[in-house]
Order: sequence, then C-alpha cells, then structure tokens
Amino acid sequence: MNLTEEERRMLDGQLGPLKRKALEFVVSYANVLGAESLCRVSKAHLFCGAHHYLEAVRSTDMDEVISEMWFCSGETIPFDSVGCFAQSDCSPVDHLNWLKMGCTEEEFLKNERYLDRCLRAGVHLVGSCVPYMTGFIPLRGEHYVTTESHAVLMMNSLWGACANADGIEAAFCSAVCARTPRWGMHVPESRKGTHLFYLTCEPETVEDWDLVGYAVGLRLPPHSVPILAGNVENADMVRLKSCFAAMATTAGPELCHILGVTPEAPTLASCLSPSGLEDEVEIGPKQLRQAREILCDSRPGRVDYISLGCPHYSIDQVGEVASWLKGKKVFPGTTLHVWTALPIRAVADRCGYTRTIEEAGGTLMVGSCPLVSEKWPSGTTAMAFDSAKQAHYIKPLTDAKVYFGSSGECLEAAVSGRWGR
Amino acid sequence: MRGMETVVIRGRGAVPGIATGPAMVCRETIQGWSGIDEKTGKVIEKGHPAEGQTIRGVVLILSGGKGSNGWSSHFHAARIRGISPCALVFPRIDSRTGVAAVVCGVPTVVDLEEDPFKIIENGDQVTVDGNSGTLTIYKGPFPTKGA
Repeated sequence: MNLTEEERRMLDGQLGPLKRKALEFVVSYANVLGAESLCRVSKAHLFCGAHHYLEAVRSTDMDEVISEMWFCSGETIPFDSVGCFAQSDCSPVDHLNWLKMGCTEEEFLKNERYLDRCLRAGVHLVGSCVPYMTGFIPLRGEHYVTTESHAVLMMNSLWGACANADGIEAAFCSAVCARTPRWGMHVPESRKGTHLFYLTCEPETVEDWDLVGYAVGLRLPPHSVPILAGNVENADMVRLKSCFAAMATTAGPELCHILGVTPEAPTLASCLSPSGLEDEVEIGPKQLRQAREILCDSRPGRVDYISLGCPHYSIDQVGEVASWLKGKKVFPGTTLHVWTALPIRAVADRCGYTRTIEEAGGTLMVGSCPLVSEKWPSGTTAMAFDSAKQAHYIKPLTDAKVYFGSSGECLEAAVSGRWGR
Repeated sequence: MRGMETVVIRGRGAVPGIATGPAMVCRETIQGWSGIDEKTGKVIEKGHPAEGQTIRGVVLILSGGKGSNGWSSHFHAARIRGISPCALVFPRIDSRTGVAAVVCGVPTVVDLEEDPFKIIENGDQVTVDGNSGTLTIYKGPFPTKGA
C-alpha cells in the first residue's frame, strides 16, 4: 500500500484517534480490494440517525454504538469531526411528523441525539436519499462516498463523478479521514460498459423508467457496467432517479451509461470495455409487463396505506401531487404519505403544496421512508407504492398485500380506498 | 488442481486466518435490504435459492453484492449478535462484499483462479486459508482427526 506522508501520520495517530481508526478501516478495505493507493474524498453522504440495525449493540452508550457500527471500533472513540463536506442520508424518523409515522417520543428523541452527534461532527442534517437535489453535486472525476445505492448511479453516471457502493462503515470512515481506496469506479479503466440493454419499449412516464431499471437489474450479472441504448430520448433526472433506484435494487451497478445522454457515453465506442460487450439484451414491453407483475399484487382490494416519493420527490413531483389532490379527499381510514427532502418541503410550504396535500387528508413527510423506518400504520392489510424499490424491499417484511403503480394509480387508490376494480 | 478426495482452488487472501466449515454456495447475489435477517442469519430474499438457509457457521461462497449500499451493515449487525459465516469466499471482489469482509473479520479469500460454482456444492466441507489465499474442498467424507 502506497501511503502519503499525511496518511502515515494519520495512521500513527498524530491526527487523533478517530482519524487513525477511520484510516485503519479504509486501509484494511483497500487491502481486501487489492487497491495499491488511496484517493482524496471531497464529499460524503452518510446514513446518520438511530437506525434499527444499530440495536445489535446492546448498549445505551451512544458513543459505544457509533464506534462499533460506524467505525468498526471495539474501543469507544467519540465521533467529533469529519474531514470533508458531509450531508446526512435518510434517518428512521421524520422530525416534523414523527407521530404520524407511528414513532414513539422515545424513538424520536433517540434519533435526535444521534443526529445531534452528527451535526456536532460537522454533518449537515439534510436527511435525504437525493443529495444531488440538495446541494451535493460532485463534478466529473471528483471522488465522493455515499450510503445510498441509487445516488451512486446518479452521480457517477450523470456527472461522471467517482464513488463505489461501499456502504455505511466505509462511508463514515472515509468521511472522517477523507480517503477511499483507489479502486473500482475511482479508476477510469473500470468504468467501461460491459452489457448493452437496448430499449425497444418506449418509456415515457416515471413508472415506465422505474420498470426499465427493475427489468435491467434482473438481467444484469454482478460486476457489470450497463449501457442503455435505443429509446432513451426522454430520460431526465426525475425519471432516472426512479430507474436507477430500481436498477440498484435488483442488481448492484455503480455506473450506467446512457448512449448519447451521459457524459462518458457520447458514442458506443467511447464507453465500451476494450474486451467488448459480454451480452446484449432487449428490453421491450414484455419485459416491463413482467417486472410489473412481479412487483404488484394481482388481487384487487382495499388499500390502507399509500406511500409516494421513493426516491424522495423533487419539487415538481410534490407540486403535481398537490395539483392532483386539489379539491379531493383521501378515503377515510386510508393513510397517504408523500416523502421528500427537508429543503424541498420548505419550497413546498412556500408554494402552498404542503397545505393542499394536508387539506386533502395526506401528509408531506421528510427525511425518511417506510423502508428505512420500517413504519407503516398498524393493522395495514394492503399498501401501495409508486416505487419499485420500495415495493420490492417491503414485501419480505410484511404479510400485507403490496401494490405497485404510477403515482396517478396510487393517488386514485388513496381517494377511493381501493386498488383495482 | 484435483486430488483424490480434495480440490484446491487458488485465489487472493483478503482477510487472514484459517477456518473450515460446510459450504453455502450462492451463485446468485443476496440483496442488502431484506436480504438477510440480522437476528437469525436466515436469507429472507423472496425467491432466492438459499431462502430460509442461515449464514451462521458456514463458508459463504457468494458471487457478489447487490442492492443497498448498506449491504455490509447487515452482516455487521448479525456478527455483533454472534451470527456470522466462519469464512467468506468471493470469486470476484466488489465494493459491497469488500466492506463486508472487513466488518466480519473472518478468513476471506477472493479473486479465485477457477469458478467455484462448478466445483463446490452445498454442504461440502471447505477450508478457507486467508493467509495463503487458498480453498481446500473435501469432496468425499471429511477427514477426521488422526486420519
């Protein structure tokens, strides 16, 4: 491992115990990968908050829990600083509407304590899975870390930035020591396309693109870099955030070229692996139908819970929901949650969208989602999502029926209280 | 290289140490969220060939990671609860599995020279040597002490 003078001093503990521990982890990780050096990280997007998996450590000492679960340290070391620009990812609690989530005061206060520790360390409490919509925009060639799988795809693919899908512990450690292994997506040679997905379907809506991502992921082997081609003309950021969220659910890509759209893929030759394509796959209407059949329960019936906004909605999407709901009422006994990021909620408040959604009986929620919080109304027998990612991951966690559809279908279900006829 | 009763596959030692256990062979990746129940170690991914099997005490041979970037955290939380594979084998390393290898801290061999999915079957006894970067697969009856 080739380390710089500064990195050696960090490992010696001359820059403090937290940086030493963080860099030790990153060096161990680099050794596992077979990386020979580290690169400097400028931005970190971190899974802050009192998440459920932390309960594995049976301790009420928050610093002990954080040391073990975020820094892999049996020795308790206070998390007191970060070494780069850092924002928080989703937490398990909406700090504004935690009661409507079904959180207890104890859960809310515990989460606030964890977030406060992050804030004091220098992490901005944005609390969203869409950091690229809230000021976290790494440029081409810039090295960053993130704990959100679709955010890696978005920022690597759309802007040519560099990160791997390397997870919670590595992200926290990289945030502190501002280093990550120079490996994978941080190396230009690893960013070439291996599998071509030719879209013969004509994806237009967000739902269509969500299904494209899901269908591509189902056919994408590990360690691959997909290239999308064919009918990709109307790809945009909102459609792609859903497409990439689904693709990073059924597979593990860290970069997806889109021919003629993304910066590293002006032509097929420019983004193609030197060894050529390993496979070419057609994604047509049949593949999208199959994806929807997997995701959506075929039995019509009563719906208790509707959740929109995975990934968190853009201001446009929140505005569209408000416009649709104007003058309508959510069915009695059905709960409608619309999830977004706190800065976007501030704009929605200013524009009157929040009030319109609330007047209809829904709630504009921030900072979390059903998957991260593992919260939905008690007694729910059927729930509906406009997100393949959310529907796919919630299914194993519940006996309730799970429906997937467009935001329009979900809103129809919210006001009728039923899915299907 | 094949012997009468054992097969050796060479790779790269990623986490040092030596451990032996029954193979749990996953040609298909396991997803992050809703992939492994941290409290029981059971695979809960719907439709996965290993659904219902536990990672506890096995030599987990897995093609790679997919889904959540928090992939490693599920192995981490399970390990804290005393549930962990006794060794890990990743035929080709990736970022998700790389972090999992560090947090589990069990002997790990990666980047294999041969396809283990053509050689190793569920339940075969496998010795993972993270120091030398080798797997030894016992295809017949597992040798007992003094044998």
